[in-house]
Amino acid sequence: MSVFDAFTDITLNFSDLIGTPIINEEKNKVGSLTDFFVNYEDIFPEVLALQFKKNNQVFYVRWEHILSFSRRKIIIRNESPIGRSRTFPKICQKKTVTNLMFSQFSGQAVEYPPLGKVILDRQIVDTHGKKVVRVNDIQFIRVGQNIRVTHAEIGMRSLLRRLGFEKLVDFFVKIINPNSKYLTGNLLISWKYVHAIPDKTVHSNVRLNLKNDELNNLHPADLADILEDLDPHSRDLIFKELDPEMAAETLIEVEPEIQPMLLKFESPERVADIIENMGTDEAADILEDLSHDIRERIFENIEDDEIQEDIQELLEYDEDTAGGLMSTEFLTVRPGHTKSEIMQIIQNEHDDIETLYELYVIDDSDKLIGTCSLNKLLIQNENLKVGDLMITNDIKCLTPETHWKEVASYMSKYNLFYVPVVEQDHTLLGIVFIDDVLPWLLD
Amino acid sequence: MVTGLKKGEFTKDYISKLNFPPFLKKIFLLLAVIGPGLITANIDNDAGGIATYSLTGAQTGYRLLWVLIPITIALIMVQEMSARMGISSGKGLADLIRERFGLKITFYTIIFLVVADLGNTMAEFAGIASAGEIFGISKYISVPICSVFVWLLILKGNYKTVERVFLIGCALYISYVISGIIIGPSFTDIVSAIFTPDFREIQPSDFPIIVGLIGTSITPWMQFYIQSAVVEKGLTTKDLTHSKIDVILGCTTMVTVTIFIIICCAATLFNSGIIISNAKDAAIALAPLAGKYASTLFAFGLFNASIFAAALLPLATSYYVCEGMGWESGVDKTFKEAPNFFSIFTGIIAFSALLILMPGINLFNILIWSQIINGILIPIVLLYIIKLCNDPDVMGEHTNTPIYNLVSYLIVFFMFAANIIFIYFEIKT
Repeated sequence: MSVFDAFTDITLNFSDLIGTPIINEEKNKVGSLTDFFVNYEDIFPEVLALQFKKNNQVFYVRWEHILSFSRRKIIIRNESPIGRSRTFPKICQKKTVTNLMFSQFSGQAVEYPPLGKVILDRQIVDTHGKKVVRVNDIQFIRVGQNIRVTHAEIGMRSLLRRLGFEKLVDFFVKIINPNSKYLTGNLLISWKYVHAIPDKTVHSNVRLNLKNDELNNLHPADLADILEDLDPHSRDLIFKELDPEMAAETLIEVEPEIQPMLLKFESPERVADIIENMGTDEAADILEDLSHDIRERIFENIEDDEIQEDIQELLEYDEDTAGGLMSTEFLTVRPGHTKSEIMQIIQNEHDDIETLYELYVIDDSDKLIGTCSLNKLLIQNENLKVGDLMITNDIKCLTPETHWKEVASYMSKYNLFYVPVVEQDHTLLGIVFIDDVLPWLLD
Repeated sequence: MVTGLKKGEFTKDYISKLNFPPFLKKIFLLLAVIGPGLITANIDNDAGGIATYSLTGAQTGYRLLWVLIPITIALIMVQEMSARMGISSGKGLADLIRERFGLKITFYTIIFLVVADLGNTMAEFAGIASAGEIFGISKYISVPICSVFVWLLILKGNYKTVERVFLIGCALYISYVISGIIIGPSFTDIVSAIFTPDFREIQPSDFPIIVGLIGTSITPWMQFYIQSAVVEKGLTTKDLTHSKIDVILGCTTMVTVTIFIIICCAATLFNSGIIISNAKDAAIALAPLAGKYASTLFAFGLFNASIFAAALLPLATSYYVCEGMGWESGVDKTFKEAPNFFSIFTGIIAFSALLILMPGINLFNILIWSQIINGILIPIVLLYIIKLCNDPDVMGEHTNTPIYNLVSYLIVFFMFAANIIFIYFEIKT
């Protein structure tokens, strides 16, 4: 006898099933269905147990003990063991077996929260559509003798279903326009793309397999938008899981007022790690908004002294001036360098350079004496010295005190994508790129 | 919910960066946390508020002043709970109601709240119309212009700037305090009216006023507003004490203004037996300060309160509706991205402005009745808040204490009682 003998549908909705009476073989009511416990480790989680309520107490019964499952009633075996808990103890299957004794005790139980509690009516990240959405319903599918979670449902139709108006609205829409998109357009998010955000208090110590790697594959700008849409706690949960490089790129993209909030709960070591993964100008902008003590502690953890020095120098300037905008990671060469030598330098240092369009030629005291565009150099022969090629008169450059508006109009006037920043005595300090000015213009 | 701080503003981290003596730092830190409570409490004194307080003073004199004491306590407790909830969960109230009570309850609650907010927005437009009429401007001119202005302000304006201009405008309320001092009412009369009320003097006609007073002081939408303001500010559990001070400060400021409005109206209108029927009558309360300019002063205050609340209310409403229903929201989005959000606030503004323009409608009655609807709804919202504040899933370790619960439930009980008595007398007449 199959569990689904009295059940013909292939797909099922969470909201339709809730409240179904659970009875035993003698037709005595045991309770009514309230939620599902599923195996969060699966890509499409299999139902492990049903949660039900009787006299306001919550119990669960394992799926194995169900004799028949239908929309009208669920029959369970007479002697089914009933668990009395709000969570479900799930034994994690560790595949690596070392010895018999060890494997016997290594199966550590994890308390699984019920599906509805972590997903239904909650915000999740749709990693495919790249946005934060609220789940109205959950869809299951029949697979063999079990059911599995396949989709989270959003959109108007599921909203109406939950409110009990689906049939009514369907009826009217059919009369008005039988071809309406509404009737077929269920907004479903495949479970693969559902990134759930566990609750702060109850589930935070439960390491659920709810997160998926899709999040790490998002573009940092998209992830930043998602973080901005989430509440502070959920934001932290996601941000904590990112690797330092991704965290750095995302942090740069988030709204400035959220940046300190994201770093507030991170350890100084991790912040230092993240800071080291971004450009010094961006790092300075972010550190600028942190308190003095926190900043010091972060600096202690930055291993690269050069980065630390650069950032500290940048912090001296106001953030709305050329000094605050500039990047200190750029390529400098000496007039005596030949083309082949410069190509070698680029190969060695390209990791530390933000963008490379132009070469800056400096003398022994770091003074800017000329510039040379990279494409001009590329067409020369290998032994040509850059000193013979560089432009020396009327170099377009600015002082670090220049206000960003002047920087912008200066760059616009001379059609520059980048402009070097120099001291009064022409010591080269940094480069302002057009993308450093753009955000200020947009605000 | 709203756009946050701009670069280089007075943020908390910025303050702890400065080199000041520790005690000064402490005060600055407090100032940085302060805001949500103070702002929320001041928006409380909107058009409907001024009308209700004026009416209270003019019709009952000092007799109902005592009601303000339980109201203040209730207000502080409710706002404190909302703020605490925002701090410990990091989520908005609509968010939490949806997650904890499911879609159905959320949906029907929101419907009622939107109706109440429609009433409130109408009240704000009625305030604009009344203020305009004092200057001799027809409501058919002032209301359409102001509704378009408000709509554009939401779409194009910076929310923080709106809030700030509004708060500065709130300083006009000081005129009531000065007016009250000039009148120089008997101090002992007021104190005894506040602290030793004679309950035998309560009349059936007092109940609409009492419910209105509750409704105008403790509005449902305000709880959504303060909670998201706290979340927006990114306050953490470390800021709980500061946030409490903020709430208490805000509420006491508000109640001080309220008391003075009632005193002014009682001294000028109640004593000379004038019955308020429109805003011009209510302006007489400022005569001791401003003499013949009383109407002008009153109109300015009323206009400021009305127009900014008319901007903030539809905005806050659309935010919490979208939050609860899971719809995209935000003024920085396009109409295509967040159609529901834009439809809701446009709808609220258009609908309430149109209703106000209906010929023969009594503006002052709209002001009072919108507050009464609030008063009826607030205990229901309060029950949700109390329930959520006892849920460790939401609050972590910061759930309500048993005594706090007891007092909160007592407040709800008395509010319900006032509502029922009020409805009973309404049906009877």
